[in-house]
Amino acid sequence: MAAGRFARALVNTVWQPIAGALIVFLALAPFAWIAIVAITPESALFTRQIEYWPSEVTIANFFRMFELSRFDLAFRNSILVACAVTALSIGVSISAAYAFARYRFPGRHALIISLLLIYMLPGIVLLVPMLVIFKTLGLVNTYTALILAQATHAVPFGVWLLTNYFAGLPKELEEAAQIDGCTRVGAMLRVALPLAVPGIIAAGLFVFIASWNDFLFAFMFTSGDEVRTLPVVLRRFIPGESGANWGPVMAGAIMTTLPVAGAFLFFQRYLIGGLSAGAVKG
Amino acid sequence: METTAGPSARAVRRIERSRARRIDLLPYVLIAPAVLLVLAVTVYPAIYALRLSVTDANLVRLAAMEYVGTNNYQKAFGDERFLVSASQTLRWVVVVAVSQMLIALPLALFLNTRFLGRAGVRASIMVPWVVPSAVVAIIWRYMVDVDHGVINDLLVRAGVLTQHVNWIGSPVSAFATVVLAQVWTGVPFYTVTVLAALQAIPGEMYEAARMDGASAWQRFRYVTLPMLIPTIALLLLLRTIWLSHSVDLIFLITGGGPGYANYTIALYSFLLTWSQLELGYPSAIAIMLAAVLLIASGFYIRIIERARDWM
Repeated sequence: MAAGRFARALVNTVWQPIAGALIVFLALAPFAWIAIVAITPESALFTRQIEYWPSEVTIANFFRMFELSRFDLAFRNSILVACAVTALSIGVSISAAYAFARYRFPGRHALIISLLLIYMLPGIVLLVPMLVIFKTLGLVNTYTALILAQATHAVPFGVWLLTNYFAGLPKELEEAAQIDGCTRVGAMLRVALPLAVPGIIAAGLFVFIASWNDFLFAFMFTSGDEVRTLPVVLRRFIPGESGANWGPVMAGAIMTTLPVAGAFLFFQRYLIGGLSAGAVKG
Repeated sequence: METTAGPSARAVRRIERSRARRIDLLPYVLIAPAVLLVLAVTVYPAIYALRLSVTDANLVRLAAMEYVGTNNYQKAFGDERFLVSASQTLRWVVVVAVSQMLIALPLALFLNTRFLGRAGVRASIMVPWVVPSAVVAIIWRYMVDVDHGVINDLLVRAGVLTQHVNWIGSPVSAFATVVLAQVWTGVPFYTVTVLAALQAIPGEMYEAARMDGASAWQRFRYVTLPMLIPTIALLLLLRTIWLSHSVDLIFLITGGGPGYANYTIALYSFLLTWSQLELGYPSAIAIMLAAVLLIASGFYIRIIERARDWM
């Protein structure tokens, strides 16, 4: 009897961590698996029998990816484009969001609704006209095209998330600053802005990750290695029927994912709040 | 006293009224950059898409495009590929959205309980969400690979299959592969959102239910579920919108194949432009999709509008 009760108590305290571990395994196993493939020598990958743990470990695949493609340029391009999109869209979003949160002015409501509708607009609708516009303006295969295309999504998102954030901050501090002789713009810059830093970090990271991960626009508007971003370069290595350099591809996939995954885990405290509070939850 | 206070109070009111009538320019200055940017990169192209959709434009002979009226829209309903795409879009959205919810709901309920290592579990299950779609595609394309795929290997070892199967070679298994990839990467977002909603349920409600003698199932059925319904409805609506215009994974894993068995409207529109440089017809079908989604978006916006007092 006592042993039975002890066993039941043990099961009760242990099943949850075990279930948790299982969930983590399911979430991470596919990714962990390509990490293993990335450090497996290519010769071992050609055999039909899968080795779940390589008998020999190598980092050659990582270097090989730089030989097979201009992965160095792709890295530079991904960083440049993502930083530019983030700076541009968060820059314009901060001031717009502040205005939407703090002022009531004619047209405000209609503008917020329009921004949300635009945020919901399928990117696929914009793909064709943008292609024509960029071609006419000679912008195909330039950073400008990528940055503008990705801003279509980033700006409405940034405004929405940050308006939510500013609206949640107490107004009294800015009012106090104004009574103490601060101008309205001064109160915004010196009082509201520092308070909104966590929200700005969250919005900026979301935009950065979305830009880094963007495939469709980057694929459509680039044709050369000088501006191609990481996902577009990776796509070339996805085989149709068979035959692929799986080792180097996986090394490339890992290198593409680690920066955003690292940033996410590092800043997750800010992000998870934004994810659930600002972006979707009603 | 009254004679001196009266006029000054009226004066104050008059000043206030005149101040209110004068339009405050500052908010307009603050929103101008964002609004101008959106006008340039979204509104103008969207209008341009409408214009292209009534022409026979093609990227290689752009100057020679001609007005064709509503031909492109009519053409769609006699186009076998479009009709297949439309029904596959519906199947794709329903299957993915429902499977994600069926996994995310119990997962969120589980993560809402207290246990050792919960913070670690919560953080690590978010990883699939942050993985770029091109990488998600590579992962799952490799998982189902004929020669090197883990899924084939495990099923053969378990005796379910006698030999390796080309998963992306037949319509249903190709569809299942993309669904699997999309579910894997989409569940974290669902889970976190449902979890946030769970945490927002006041503990007193459970206390009260427990005092009334409600069992664990009854507490879930009569407290948790009703409180979650708005979040679940919103999530499903939002996912419907996102999924119906998502192109990445389908294009990268199967290309909509075999043949056009797994095309969606968004993918079809994209492929027409990408491989045939067509502009008019793909614009028309993308606009039809957008028009349907606009209705869904309208519902979504109405719901969140009510939940945000600042709107």
